Amino acid sequence: MWQSVASRIQNQNKWWFLIGVLFVFIFFVLPIFRLFFLSFSSESGLTLGNYMSVLQDRSTWKTIENTLYVVLGSSIIAIILGVLTAWVVAYTNIRQKKLIQLFVFLPFIIPSYITTLAWTQFMSKNGFFANFLSLLPGTLEPINMYSLHGIIIVMGISHYPLVYLLTVGVLRKIPRDLEYAARVSGSSKWQSFRQITLPLALPGIASGGFLAFIASLDNFGIPAFLGIPGNIRVLSTYIYEQIVGLGPNSFERAATLSVILGILALIGTFFQWLLLKKSKNIETAVEDKEPRFLFHKRKRLTVEIFLWAFLLMTTMIPLVSMLSASLIKAYGLPFAPENISLKNYQFVLLENQKAVTSLKNSANLAIITTVFCLVAGTGIAYLRTKKPSMITKGLEMVIGIPYALPGTVLALAMIFAWMEPIPGWNPGIYGTIMILFIAYVTRFLILQVRGSITAFMQIDPSIEEAARVSGSNGFYKWKQILLPLIIPGVISGALLVFLTALTELTVSSLLWSSGSETIGLVIFNFEQAGYSTYSTAFSSVIVLLILLAFFILTILQKLWDRKVLHNEHTN
Amino acid sequence: MNKLKGGLLLSLVSLALVGCGSEESSTNSGSEAGIEGDLSFYTSQPDEDAQKLVDAFTEKYPDVKVQTYRSGTEEVISKIKAEQKAGDVQADVLLVADSVTFEDLKEEDLLLEYKSEELSEIPSNLVDPDGMYAGTKVMATALVANSTNVTEMPDSWNVLTDESSKGKTIMPSPFYSGAAAYNLGVFTRNEAFGWDYFKSLKENDMTVTKGNGAVLQAVADGEKSYGMVVDFIVARAKAEGSPVELIYPKEGVPVITEPIGIMKDAENEEAAKAFVDFVLSEEGQQLAADLGYTPIRKGIEAPEGLQTIEEMNVIDADISELYQAREDDKKEFETIFGQ
Repeated sequence: MWQSVASRIQNQNKWWFLIGVLFVFIFFVLPIFRLFFLSFSSESGLTLGNYMSVLQDRSTWKTIENTLYVVLGSSIIAIILGVLTAWVVAYTNIRQKKLIQLFVFLPFIIPSYITTLAWTQFMSKNGFFANFLSLLPGTLEPINMYSLHGIIIVMGISHYPLVYLLTVGVLRKIPRDLEYAARVSGSSKWQSFRQITLPLALPGIASGGFLAFIASLDNFGIPAFLGIPGNIRVLSTYIYEQIVGLGPNSFERAATLSVILGILALIGTFFQWLLLKKSKNIETAVEDKEPRFLFHKRKRLTVEIFLWAFLLMTTMIPLVSMLSASLIKAYGLPFAPENISLKNYQFVLLENQKAVTSLKNSANLAIITTVFCLVAGTGIAYLRTKKPSMITKGLEMVIGIPYALPGTVLALAMIFAWMEPIPGWNPGIYGTIMILFIAYVTRFLILQVRGSITAFMQIDPSIEEAARVSGSNGFYKWKQILLPLIIPGVISGALLVFLTALTELTVSSLLWSSGSETIGLVIFNFEQAGYSTYSTAFSSVIVLLILLAFFILTILQKLWDRKVLHNEHTN
Repeated sequence: MNKLKGGLLLSLVSLALVGCGSEESSTNSGSEAGIEGDLSFYTSQPDEDAQKLVDAFTEKYPDVKVQTYRSGTEEVISKIKAEQKAGDVQADVLLVADSVTFEDLKEEDLLLEYKSEELSEIPSNLVDPDGMYAGTKVMATALVANSTNVTEMPDSWNVLTDESSKGKTIMPSPFYSGAAAYNLGVFTRNEAFGWDYFKSLKENDMTVTKGNGAVLQAVADGEKSYGMVVDFIVARAKAEGSPVELIYPKEGVPVITEPIGIMKDAENEEAAKAFVDFVLSEEGQQLAADLGYTPIRKGIEAPEGLQTIEEMNVIDADISELYQAREDDKKEFETIFGQ
């Protein structure tokens, strides 16, 4: 009798499984294939014609050249900044490391297009930096942000937290004993760094560097805000302009360019994955959080001052600059008490219908996407950790493709997939908010899956077995045992999904329609039209909301930790 | 097993919520006669101005809900053409920079004929004789100069090609701004300028940005000293205290009329017609004047600092030639100014 029950459950599992696979195929695989095929199609059937015309166009090569220059440049900056800060935080005895880490993450939390706005205000002719430079001798002028260098700087600063995150973990896992052994055997500090620390840390650092590489390839906001006014194109903005400009064959050309961009991104992802695997050899080691280099008090203070100066320069100061620009009542007026006015905020928050609608739209999209991804992602993560097999591993990889691919490419794939899924049938999804929802879920599901997998992997299987042996199974096991343990990890995944979906620009810039504007898009449109007063005002509001949300969350986390720990103690 | 089912249920519920959220479009009460329902308004006017126009209209017709799509003229038209390709043009009323754009839409049979009663007070040469569109304002493209950087105000378009202004000039892009696209066509067909003028602009390191708003901002901030820009935006900024001056060059100025028209497949024809009537009426034209535009209707006064059409020295060109050559003109511009 038990045999038949067991086999019946197994059969039911198979049905769910098939549905899941079908779901993944329709939403994740099919759109990408269609995009791929579109790049080969023309009125007369399959052809290489699109590739020929695109690759023979001089501006395509200039764009690819710009893209590689920008991406490599910003990755190098991200690696240098990330490794330096990671080394200081992981190995030295400076104080307030938690606070420093928060400031390091700030450029990552704040959408990159807002960071861009902040920097353009900071470097503007009337801005803080110009005023500061005028105090110095000579006629120094602020950097022109609307240039390749401007793009590289802002991208490097926005992405170095990625390198930092990976490097800090890797550095902490390198066993101290290895370094001690080297020092005891006679090597100097520098030698032990070069021959012990560096080789062990290098795969992790390189993996972080590739993450920055992919993030730069995918980034649309920064080159859109800085490059378009200066007529500088990279692949992501070039594809955008093709679609928005609607010349002849624009969709096919955009598809071709997307394939090129997608291949570059996938190559980067492959290398990143390879290097991450290599650095995971020291995964089992516990993080050693004790400092390894102890500075004297004075040296420590100097290092701290430099570090804080750097952190404030790259986060707070440009933001304050943006805030002050939003408070001026007309362009070109200096920042003086008589020129301050809240009228830009009044327009953006009360009068402009689109700005208000976008807040609602983005909030809705973010909440529903997060809930959906939370449930589906955690379910998939559970499967992945409980039953690791070729199929589940393949599933995870396929789900990760829409995130690995640049947002522009994904948006284009979505347009084709949903404008006419089956020739002749227009389901009315393109042109409404539904397509944004579908795009967001496909793109961000992997974030939740990965967050939940990490959470599940931290639970020893023996805990589940102990629960089963003691008689609890199914729902009760989940409620009392598993959920409290995985919630921090799962919630952090959900938070990432929520924040990214709320402030997203790349995908919405191509998929929006009247009435479904998102926050990022409204800021983008204001800036494109030249109304920096409105874009800075709205951006300041968003930054305040984000910081507020993080503040509340930190408090909640502390309360939760206390509650869970408290429970553990009382048992 | 249970958790999978629960999860699926939850996700279905959220999908349903999204579906409910996006169904805002059908709010027709249906019962009362009169102007009501949804109206889709596509425009290239600055956000603030479009918003004030819509607000004034909905004050008069409170049962109408207006959805605005705003971008540069060229991008608005791209969007309409993309919607046409997808089989469903969503715009009802269109108000963009210039008549050449409307000629193109007229040729493609995308417009609805409507001769408003208010047309009796509008100069007939600024209105389409077939009733497809009508001008709503008088807008010239002129020079703007930063009054802090520039001591002696120029009086000619040649200041933009003058060596002393190298790298300090800025203009809007004909790929975004309809006014800029129109000006391109008009200037290049004028003997005094032609394509050589644009080549000289490029040699003088002219910056090409997107819209007129960005041009004004760059000059007001002091980043650039001179700009080619629409007149009303300068007069308005100057009145608010920005250090800018508006100059009508002696060679003359190209003039656009920001026409309004109704799309052929407009879903709410009644409301669309009421909107056109409103814009051309005394009330609508006075609103435009209050916003800082030069009105087109006879009898409404132009704001301070702006010239009326009688005072201007107008440069123009043959409209049918302009609209046929627009795409080629833009391509030629890209060749000169491109990367």
